[in-house]
Amino acid sequence: MKAVRVCVLRIEGTNCEDEAAQAFASVGASPEKVHLKQLLGQCPSDRRRELDSYDVLMLPGGFSAGDYVRAGAIFAARLKSGLRKELVAFVEAGRPVIGVCNGFQVLVELGLLPAMDGTMAEAPEAALYTNDSGRFECRPTLLRQERRGKGPFTAGIPHGSVVMCPSAHAEGKLMFPRGTRRRTLERLLENDQIVFRYVNPDGEYAGYPWCPNGSIYNIAGICNPAGNVLGMMPHPERVLRRETHPDWTRTPGREEGDGLPLFRSIVESVR
Amino acid sequence: MSLEHLFIKRPVPFHLAEIDLAAATDDELKALSGEMGLSLSLEEMRRVRDHFKGLGRRPTDVELESIAQAWSEHCCYKSSKVILREHIFGIDNGRVLSRGDAGVMEFDDEYGYALRIESHNHPSAIEPYGGAATGIGGIVRDVLCMGAQPVALVDPLFFGPLDLKGKVPAGSKAPKYLVSGVVSGIRDYGNRIGVPTVCGGLFFDESYLGNCLVNVGCVGIVRKRDLRRNAVGGVGDRLILCGGRTGRDGIHGVTFASAELSARSEDESRGAVQLGDPITKEPLIHACLEVNSLGLVSGMKDLGGGGLSCVVGEMALAGGCGAEVDLHRVPLKESGLAPWEVWVSESQERMMLAVPEGNVERVLETFAMWDVDATVIGRVVPGNHVTLEWLGVRVLDLDLDFLTKGPEYCRPCKMEVRSRQTEEVTPKLPDLRTVTLGLLADPNIASKEWVFRMYDHEVRGGTVIKPASGRMNRGGPSDATVIRPLPDRERGLALAVGVNPWFCGADAYRGGMASIDEACRNIVAVGGRPDSFTDCLNFGNPERPERLGELRQAVAGMGDLARYLGLPVPSGNVSLYNETASGAVLPTPTVLGVGIVEDVRRCVTTDLKREGNALYLVGETRREFGGSALYRRFGGRGGEVPAVSPERLRRSMDEMLSAMGEGLIASCHDVSDGGLAIAVAEMCLGGDLGAAVEVGAEWEAFSESNTRWVVEVEPSREGKFVSAMTVPITRLGTVGGRSLRLIAGKGRASLSLRDMRKAWSGTLPRLMG
Repeated sequence: MKAVRVCVLRIEGTNCEDEAAQAFASVGASPEKVHLKQLLGQCPSDRRRELDSYDVLMLPGGFSAGDYVRAGAIFAARLKSGLRKELVAFVEAGRPVIGVCNGFQVLVELGLLPAMDGTMAEAPEAALYTNDSGRFECRPTLLRQERRGKGPFTAGIPHGSVVMCPSAHAEGKLMFPRGTRRRTLERLLENDQIVFRYVNPDGEYAGYPWCPNGSIYNIAGICNPAGNVLGMMPHPERVLRRETHPDWTRTPGREEGDGLPLFRSIVESVR
Repeated sequence: MSLEHLFIKRPVPFHLAEIDLAAATDDELKALSGEMGLSLSLEEMRRVRDHFKGLGRRPTDVELESIAQAWSEHCCYKSSKVILREHIFGIDNGRVLSRGDAGVMEFDDEYGYALRIESHNHPSAIEPYGGAATGIGGIVRDVLCMGAQPVALVDPLFFGPLDLKGKVPAGSKAPKYLVSGVVSGIRDYGNRIGVPTVCGGLFFDESYLGNCLVNVGCVGIVRKRDLRRNAVGGVGDRLILCGGRTGRDGIHGVTFASAELSARSEDESRGAVQLGDPITKEPLIHACLEVNSLGLVSGMKDLGGGGLSCVVGEMALAGGCGAEVDLHRVPLKESGLAPWEVWVSESQERMMLAVPEGNVERVLETFAMWDVDATVIGRVVPGNHVTLEWLGVRVLDLDLDFLTKGPEYCRPCKMEVRSRQTEEVTPKLPDLRTVTLGLLADPNIASKEWVFRMYDHEVRGGTVIKPASGRMNRGGPSDATVIRPLPDRERGLALAVGVNPWFCGADAYRGGMASIDEACRNIVAVGGRPDSFTDCLNFGNPERPERLGELRQAVAGMGDLARYLGLPVPSGNVSLYNETASGAVLPTPTVLGVGIVEDVRRCVTTDLKREGNALYLVGETRREFGGSALYRRFGGRGGEVPAVSPERLRRSMDEMLSAMGEGLIASCHDVSDGGLAIAVAEMCLGGDLGAAVEVGAEWEAFSESNTRWVVEVEPSREGKFVSAMTVPITRLGTVGGRSLRLIAGKGRASLSLRDMRKAWSGTLPRLMG
């Protein structure tokens, strides 16, 4: 079996890299935590890494560079200025890229999502804005898988099924530019780009707290039109085992954490 | 009084003065201590004077400041050490791996866990956001410098009432402002550094109005071979200062913390509050752990109270050496700092590494990789002196024995038990329904969800029992939180806070015992075996005998119980002078208990599981209402403070854990604030299930007697459960329906889940707006 190499990319303030690497390791891949400076060559030569040598790129959650500007903006700017060509090539080669939480924010800032008019947009086409509650929200969220097409992320998560992934963010409300809101949403639907939407335990598209941020159309995660770049606010890497589900002591029968199928799908897609 | 004549400026191109202590009168010595912000007493000033007389020279300002830091209550525990030594220090069960800046206990064959709790009270009272944030920063460094990866944060907080009628005392801030600032500070710092804030507490009492308490705890995990001492390795080691730059923020933090707060504290001491920067800290953690795991470091220590002045001396002394420091090499935030300012500044996000010369280059390379400053500022030398140079001029030369063997006092204590001096007045209670709903809505009992949803309590992906238990977004409270610190093993750590300031205020000895009992109850309730404690002792001015008496009694209570159980307290912190003109805070000995969970997959939570199951009370309910929520809310006075039987506690814990091990217990909740009625109500809320419960007399529903749990047992397992328990158990009723039907003596109440949830969940959002 081919070793699947996963680049778990980090800078200062990225703080979900351990569990992100653990997620890939637990489905048989070979993750490596890589600092951006290692890809940019700003390091001793024995630490140098090439993006092209990986099969999967993961941007984990956290507060990259403190998120003191806009969430993800600084990480995205550093990536864009130093690694633009390599990133575009990676995406165009069809290799999977996943960004979770802050990683999603980075992908949007980069223009890799929603990217409806090409691999990477010049300027951000969407924003992950402050939650409607105005607060950081750490709570369980239920996500319905909405994508009809095939792709590297959802082979193990049937269309219409619901998974539990906790959310933990202050800026997760997906928004589109005023005036193009409806049209953008329509195109996302046409392109089959909506992957996850927040629902309540009855499977309904409910408001707060089930949708923790007020995101348009209850969107929790989207992919690019080609389907190989996924960004999502909730954290699948926090539910690798059943015991990190919030209600696991009252729900017997679950074998594994709801986050695992996503990582398994990714790894199997490139194997 | 002019003190000019005592300062003799040295002819050097920077600020350096000698202080002519020998020429000073007693009044001038006292005035000097005040003027320079030293917080040293007259006796202590005299001792310094005599030391330098013996040396035949005058101290520099750098030296005098250095001594003031080292001798502060905060650094040398001069008022409390005698008491701690008598009751707490010696407890050992052979599993203590280290008693450094954090204690380290054995986790399993390969790993240890680190634990520590401390206070950041005075800074938070002045500047709540920054004070709380830097409190987190400091406690994380205490764990980090043992070589441990921080894996959990814990933060018990104490404020004046949110629904305060009337005005706050001069110089203090409104509780709502303080709560909001402190919680945001913990949120923004803790969330950014990626360490989950998993448990804590939120307490309200008028005694905290002028002096809120912000206690911050941290737990870490360390491979035994990576465990480091907070000491230099030996002569030749280089001292590498890494992390944040040094500035004027946080000057005199420890001396400020060692005096009472006053209306003037805001103006005088804002500069004593440090500024936190989590995005320097986050990579600092990575870099320190990386160089440590590569075996490049002989010892580490964090820069906290007293800054460089404390860390250099303590590390050198612990390694049996002296040190030379080139102070002007310290990277600064701004130019123009005097040597003494650089030496005592408490600027945040700094760590000191002692590194063998041959490893220096590789260490610096790793820090450069993370864009974190690291600078060689000195070296370890033979002898027992610390010397400092600034641009080639020697500005300090101190004997470490003199510097670090600070004074120790056996101050007078007055031992009182307030509950014995007050006639018991039982409150006139409204009906059972009103009492129960009133207690559920009491800010000290009501849901703390408003707070913990703002803390990332799941980052690192190992939080198995979270602050809320039960149905998603409808949970009840958890007793302890449980984390699985290592993804490849099933062993877990249960963390729980124990403290009841009202018990301590009425009877400090019993209150101290109750802190330990509560932490144990909470840990056992999730299926953990209590393993160790760390304590943060928040008390008033120790120079007042009745305050020190409270400290002594509380510590004796904690120590007696911990010793009986054989559970060590390998780290802790004492915070005194929590006092303003309007009085002291309630005696508040906060305990963070850590338990070992053999297999997290067998953990038990508080939420009711299934209709038809039986409910039992484990333990004995006595008429003990001193300090109880019932008396506080409904106007009772006095009363016996709940006592603890150490033997009963130990036996109860053993039997509870073995019943859990056999899978006999479906849910479990400890009985604490508000008593049995509240415990059952909270279990109902978590499970979104009702229950029918009966006790013999109304008071039994609200007594806060220690060492009790409510457990849920499936009917098929009742027989086995009943015969397994030798401690008293009482069948209370059954699970079922959509309401809590409570019969207590002549009182009857039916409380719908909806009404209970409204009372319990509505309070904090309403008060915080």
